[in-house]
Amino acid sequence: MPETRSFRLGVAGPVGTGKSSLIATICRELADELRLGVITNDIYTDEDARLLRSAGVLDPDRIRAVETGACPHTAIRDDVTPNLIAVEDLERDFAPLDVVLVESGGDNLTATFSPALVDAQIFVLDVAGGGDVARKGGPGIARADLLVVNKTDLAPYVEVDVDRMVKDAEAARDGKPVLALSRKDPASVAKLKEWVRHMTAQVSTGDHTPVDPGPMAPHSHVGEDGSVITHVHTH
Amino acid sequence: MGTAELVALMLADGRLPTGGHTQSAGLEPAVRAGLGADGKQLHEVQTYARDRLRTVTRVDAAVAVVARHVILTGRPPEPPPSRVDWSAPGSPSREPWSPNHNPNSRLDATAEQAKPGGLGSGLGSGLEVVERAWAARVSSQVVREAVRRQGRLLLRLAGRVWPGVGEYLPPDGEIARPIVLGVVAAVTGLSAEQLARVVAYDDAQTVVSASLKLLPVDPAEAATWLAALHDDIEKLVADVAPLTDVDKIPANAAPLIDIHAQNHVTERMRLFHA
Ligand SMILES: Nc1nc2c(ncn2[C@@H]2O[C@H](COP(=O)(O)OP(=O)(O)OP(=O)(O)O)[C@@H](O)[C@H]2O)c(=O)[nH]1
Ligand SMILES: [Mg+2]
Repeated sequence: MPETRSFRLGVAGPVGTGKSSLIATICRELADELRLGVITNDIYTDEDARLLRSAGVLDPDRIRAVETGACPHTAIRDDVTPNLIAVEDLERDFAPLDVVLVESGGDNLTATFSPALVDAQIFVLDVAGGGDVARKGGPGIARADLLVVNKTDLAPYVEVDVDRMVKDAEAARDGKPVLALSRKDPASVAKLKEWVRHMTAQVSTGDHTPVDPGPMAPHSHVGEDGSVITHVHTH
Repeated sequence: MGTAELVALMLADGRLPTGGHTQSAGLEPAVRAGLGADGKQLHEVQTYARDRLRTVTRVDAAVAVVARHVILTGRPPEPPPSRVDWSAPGSPSREPWSPNHNPNSRLDATAEQAKPGGLGSGLGSGLEVVERAWAARVSSQVVREAVRRQGRLLLRLAGRVWPGVGEYLPPDGEIARPIVLGVVAAVTGLSAEQLARVVAYDDAQTVVSASLKLLPVDPAEAATWLAALHDDIEKLVADVAPLTDVDKIPANAAPLIDIHAQNHVTERMRLFHA
């Protein structure tokens, strides 16, 4: 591994759930202690890169956009080469970086990062998408390194029970962490910071083994005896 | 290693992970400039692909063929005799583009070649001469950058799949894609015809499939356009496959494509890299 290799952290999740905002929060909170870079995968505009640049949380040169030809899913999964090159160039140009955050273009629930691109990934849902999304599951929900249930401040307005949503998510995740987050709730932001710090340390010491959430959702069918069998295909 | 035929199929397959999904072969800015008339003139997509086959793609295919030849014969080509000293300070024809005008001028070809990982950084195989011949024929600096970026993406993959490629090209070099394809062809045993056909087909297919994202096109209709371009593709193959000499690489250009490309990089709303 070259010395300039950073911890590459993917941020995926459906459109508008708050991926860019979460990255901005991480930058704002951690730019003093970690050397950061950002790659955005905009679907149609350079809006995300712009938003992050104008947020003033990071040197604008450290934020780069990669076009995805309307294939945000492909760009983080089937053909990661353009992203990989962007990450490596950023690592080279600003060596050494501690963390490079890669924002996915915001696809559907099945889009997850290939382990060829990132070391760990955060999957972002929001309460406004509906309280039952976490229960519906999907590869990112079930197996991303961290699942964020975002915009909890909006829960009362969209009639979502956050605790319930978090419990559903935890049930789908086999003990992996779930974080109820709102940028208006400093305690939740502190937890996010702590997770990023912890992961950065783990990856840099080689204690973290990347897990691939995979493109296939765990799914259920009814067994011969009428019981429900939930599993993930490994082939 | 598979047969040459299968290698050609792999190279022509858009699913090969080399960033093909980020490319429209200039169709996106052309559509923005009015090509297809918002869906009222869809056949213009086919015409556009044909125009490319007759101009820029012909050059790319010829460059690939000559690069392949250089590797196979192991003889570095004679650099073309310099008829003018292009870099002579004060040379009148050079004046408006002189790097002395602006030390950061992105049109400075010398600076381009000196890039780390680029071919200028010391390759003995004679491919620099071919790369320079290619660069001289591509007047848009934006297009040169995009084609070199695509070359780097392909090289990255090719170096792993066909390790022999690494003997001729530096890992991760920003090298024009036709040069990289030429080397892959030499290493894997593709004929000049197969190579030229891959270059031509790939370009036409890039245009046609990008049209599905940019215009209201029926995918089956798009495939029909592609099939209708076969004669043009074979004409290109017949023309460029026999080439062995750098000086004989055609210099067809399509200035409007260059202008579109230059506009595209400053565009805020775009799906495709180029
Ligand atoms: N109320 C509230 N709004 C939030 C929060 N986080 C993000 N938002 C808002 O949600 C909207 C979408 O946020 P983004 O960060 O752009 O979401 P995204 O996932 O990056 O969106 P795409 O990149 O388009 O997929 C914006 O209007 C944000 O201001 C939050 O914690 N609370
Ligand atoms: Mg975003």
